[in-house]
Amino acid sequence: MAATSIRRRFGRSVLTVAAVALAATLLTALVTIAGTARTKVLSELSKGGPLSGITVAAAEADPSQVDTDDPRPGPPKDLDDAIRTRITALPDVRTVLPIVAAVVNVVVPEPPANADVLARLPPLPSTVAPTTSAPPEGAVPGAPRPTVPGLRTPDPFPETMVGIDLDRASLLPITILTGRLPVPRSLTEVAVTQGYLTRMGLTKKQAAAVVGTEVQLGAPRVFSDSGQPLRFRSRWLRATIVGVVAQETAPGQFLVSLEQTQVARAWTAGGSDGGGRLEIPTSPYSGLFVIASDLEKVNEVRRDITELGYSTSAPENLVASVQRYLRVVEIVLGAIGAIALVIASLGIANALLAAVRERRREIGVLKAIGARDRDVQRVFLLEAGVLGLVGGIIGTAGGFATALGVSAVVNQYLAAQGLVGVRLGLPVLVLISAVFGSTLLALVAGAIPARRASRMPAREAMEAA
Amino acid sequence: MGVAITLRGLSHTYRTSEGPLTVLGGLDLDVADGGYAAITGPSGAGKTTLLSLLGGLEQPQSGRIEIGGHDLNGLSGDGLAAYRRATVGFVFQHFGLLETLTAAQNIELAGTLNGTSPAARRSRAIELLDAVGLAPRAGHRPSGLSGGERQRVAIARALVNRPRLLLADEPTGNLDDDAAAMVIDLLEKVRADHGCTLVMVTHNRELATRADQRIPLDRVLPVSTPA
Repeated sequence: MAATSIRRRFGRSVLTVAAVALAATLLTALVTIAGTARTKVLSELSKGGPLSGITVAAAEADPSQVDTDDPRPGPPKDLDDAIRTRITALPDVRTVLPIVAAVVNVVVPEPPANADVLARLPPLPSTVAPTTSAPPEGAVPGAPRPTVPGLRTPDPFPETMVGIDLDRASLLPITILTGRLPVPRSLTEVAVTQGYLTRMGLTKKQAAAVVGTEVQLGAPRVFSDSGQPLRFRSRWLRATIVGVVAQETAPGQFLVSLEQTQVARAWTAGGSDGGGRLEIPTSPYSGLFVIASDLEKVNEVRRDITELGYSTSAPENLVASVQRYLRVVEIVLGAIGAIALVIASLGIANALLAAVRERRREIGVLKAIGARDRDVQRVFLLEAGVLGLVGGIIGTAGGFATALGVSAVVNQYLAAQGLVGVRLGLPVLVLISAVFGSTLLALVAGAIPARRASRMPAREAMEAA
Repeated sequence: MGVAITLRGLSHTYRTSEGPLTVLGGLDLDVADGGYAAITGPSGAGKTTLLSLLGGLEQPQSGRIEIGGHDLNGLSGDGLAAYRRATVGFVFQHFGLLETLTAAQNIELAGTLNGTSPAARRSRAIELLDAVGLAPRAGHRPSGLSGGERQRVAIARALVNRPRLLLADEPTGNLDDDAAAMVIDLLEKVRADHGCTLVMVTHNRELATRADQRIPLDRVLPVSTPA
């Protein structure tokens, strides 16, 4: 009966469904966009890592700075497996990831970027100086050098490479700008940061041009014989650049496997310190990345680590502050959508009240042939529910489509800025809630008309017949 | 099988803008089991009120109503609905068919409320449409039927739950003479075949004379006796 009633008053039903659908569209789109924006903003704050991440430095802590997001570290202090185990055992610590940094000498290929790829990308900045570097070691004297106009090939330079557990790289503050991360445990693959691009005179938009090129990384070692001048030798390896990343794990322009930095570091540590003139790292780990079980627990974990004597940093205050603002934005946007839905529900109530007035005869007939009050009530509630459900489904689909459209426009803008775009996941909970909420609100809106219909005296209804 | 009707001291008061209006005036009435009664009288005499009270469409305010030995005064809400579903069949002047349903669906509707299975409902609807000579029109909506056909569908619907009391409110009021005669013949045949008690409101004196018992409401009837 509810279905036939909807069909009979098709125009009104369509308008009512349209009102609900528009409201659900607005609500879904706003909540989805707000949720995605929240994820993006927080992801930017945490640099792609978890919000509850804490960086532990191989340095002594200053207890007075534990509430500071980025405190000044104290004097160096070794981080070894024993302390890693103790931190892992702390309450509210989910996992601990080791970070090993090693200083290397870098020899960049000539040219430092793939000319074919570069030709397909946006032009180089006009301010970049033309290629001026000297021929690389081993190059045939007098042979023509492959150069790319506007591209800078620097002389060999010292830089830090950061070794991480690549199996769990997704837990670290690393964002892939182009390409991919090195394969776990690889000794021949490397990812570079934006700093490397800048050094080559490239911009973020041209990141793809360095992927596939090779760099030579040499771990230095000092040999000191009594009475002889210091001698330097490097342990070289050739690595292919497989990706460009933004990373906040530790300072350094090269991201490699943990094993690669451990080998380099062991080589360097095996040498002389030149009679105290050179600083040889003694700490097995240059840092640890600790993930607390929850953002709320970050401060407690930081305090525990500080008590162990190590300096920590985490953007907890910044994240908490931004989260508060984002929550306000979400509430406001959600409220706008909810108000629209309530207005649509009033439309349902109005349409059903009109239907009750028009259908007095029908209600009377139903009662005369034996319908109970709740049977009549059910017919109107079912009608309201169907209107809400259909409107909710259409609106939710429309809202998600709108959010997809908005994210496409946003991604176009972000891509033009050389930034990583937003990824709009399927917010299943939001979609289900929108459909369920639309139906529920419609049922609530239909409650009064349904009650009025069910309470209509059968005799009055018969008189209308 | 029908029901015997016993009314004692029945009256009903309406609140109107001019003050309380009392109808029926303490009506006493007896209709025999399987009887055929015609209620006549001018507008406002309480004919439809009496039919509503007999049909359990509203609760009696004053007096006693006994239908088939059951006291209606003690029923309300779901109890009255169950009484209407199981005991009463209504035929309205305006047919009371739902325009969005077909003839068969209108008949099935009464079975739906009674909890009958879909197959049984469908079968019963076809059987009743056949009985009123409208089986070929089962799929037609009321708007596609003539007045007489609509009333025959309404009679078929009234019979779906095998009522023991058939109440007809001016069933020929909207029909031409031929259709009216056909409908009255059908109602009388139904009563004869099913043995149900038939109470009909009519303005038509000629039709009223066909009933076993006439109940004129334009004057006080202390106790009505069969004609």
